[in-house]
Amino acid sequence: MKKKRMWSLQFSTAAFVLIPAAVGINFLGKLFASVLKLPLWVDAIGTVLASMLAGPIVGAIVGVVNNVVYGFTTDPVSFVYAITQAVIGLVAGIMAYRGWISNVGKAIVLGVVVGFIAAIVSTPLNIMFWEGTTGNVWGDALFATMLAKDMPLWLASFADSIVVDVPDKVVTVLLSFLIFKGLPKNVKLMYDNQGEIERL
Amino acid sequence: MNNMTLYVSRDSPVHRVDPMTKLLFVFISITSTYILSDHLAVLGILLFTFFILLIGKVFKSILPVIGVSFLLIASIIIVQGFFHPDRATVLFEIGPIAIYKEGFLIAFLITLRVVNMVAAFGVLILTTKPDDLVEALLQKGLSPKFGYVLLSVLQIIPQMVALTGKITDAQRARGMETEGGIWMRFKSFLPLLGPVVLNSLTETRERSIALEIRGFNAKGNRTFLYERKNYRYSVPFRIALIAFFLAVIAWRVIS
Repeated sequence: MKKKRMWSLQFSTAAFVLIPAAVGINFLGKLFASVLKLPLWVDAIGTVLASMLAGPIVGAIVGVVNNVVYGFTTDPVSFVYAITQAVIGLVAGIMAYRGWISNVGKAIVLGVVVGFIAAIVSTPLNIMFWEGTTGNVWGDALFATMLAKDMPLWLASFADSIVVDVPDKVVTVLLSFLIFKGLPKNVKLMYDNQGEIERL
Repeated sequence: MNNMTLYVSRDSPVHRVDPMTKLLFVFISITSTYILSDHLAVLGILLFTFFILLIGKVFKSILPVIGVSFLLIASIIIVQGFFHPDRATVLFEIGPIAIYKEGFLIAFLITLRVVNMVAAFGVLILTTKPDDLVEALLQKGLSPKFGYVLLSVLQIIPQMVALTGKITDAQRARGMETEGGIWMRFKSFLPLLGPVVLNSLTETRERSIALEIRGFNAKGNRTFLYERKNYRYSVPFRIALIAFFLAVIAWRVIS
């Protein structure tokens, strides 16, 4: 039963309205990170939050819409990473439904897993589109060092993604987890497919 | 503040082309540069894309968009130029560091591809109103609900940014530090983001009730408020693009 609900394609109106709001939250996370000059992107809080609230499918849609809109408004390169964001939403949603957000420790594990999977998805994209670099200074410095030591391209590129993605996603998931725990119950129930009471 | 898009309103032949045709152009222009690995051919495609931007009178507006990708391009040139695995021939030396020919050629090719990718999207983004693009997609059969999602993002983000300004001021008035060491800045992240997120999530509740009342979930065919714009020459443009694409594939297979 639980599985069926998780993959339900019957979205409520609330879920549809959640998508733009979540994309907005992603955008704000990125904005705050740059205003506060943090060395991370933190641009997936909305995606992770949406998948915690409404399940993996909604999370994946948020990811794709996020990068398409971002590509349209700021940086066309982000179209390439739409798949990565979709997978982040999918993984976070599945694990959240399996109970990996019950406490802080589990949330950190969730962050590490999401970071690893994001890196696994990004690496082929990076190699295909720009021979392995990511545009992040720290990651690319490591990439260059590994290439200088004649390590294989894919390994260097994967390391390049890992050092950037894992800390970033752990922070992202942790922040989303803290916000999620602080949400009032009536907001959480709104997107939940289980209860019939709050269904709009 | 309510203008999120990069759309530049001009009167040009490119602005009058069907959005779907431009979408096809973006796809073919980008995939062609990745199918071909000949520097001259890729350069030719890039120059053609620039030429279309010039006709569309938006060439100046693409430069800041390319600038956003500057860091990516710079790191490609540096990393590939110095450290590409196939490095053998020294092109020239700066002090103790040598730039290798193989890496440099590859870096040059990738740079051309990245700039072409940005410029090709620029053709679509700078000359097409998002409303027109979504409308064209809806007429091609995109679900109206997703059409709503795409367009409402563009409206919601400026609203949320405005709200953010208010919340930052309010938290500062309460004595929150937003400057200082990295840990200090990091600590202020949650009190800034928390209220915005809560607020926008509670708003979704009201918004979904408002949408329900207006028949968001209604079944049956939707009608369009605006009449379909008359785009000319769509078919010949598309045939030309597809013919070009087939020629690119054929060339790649032969050579």
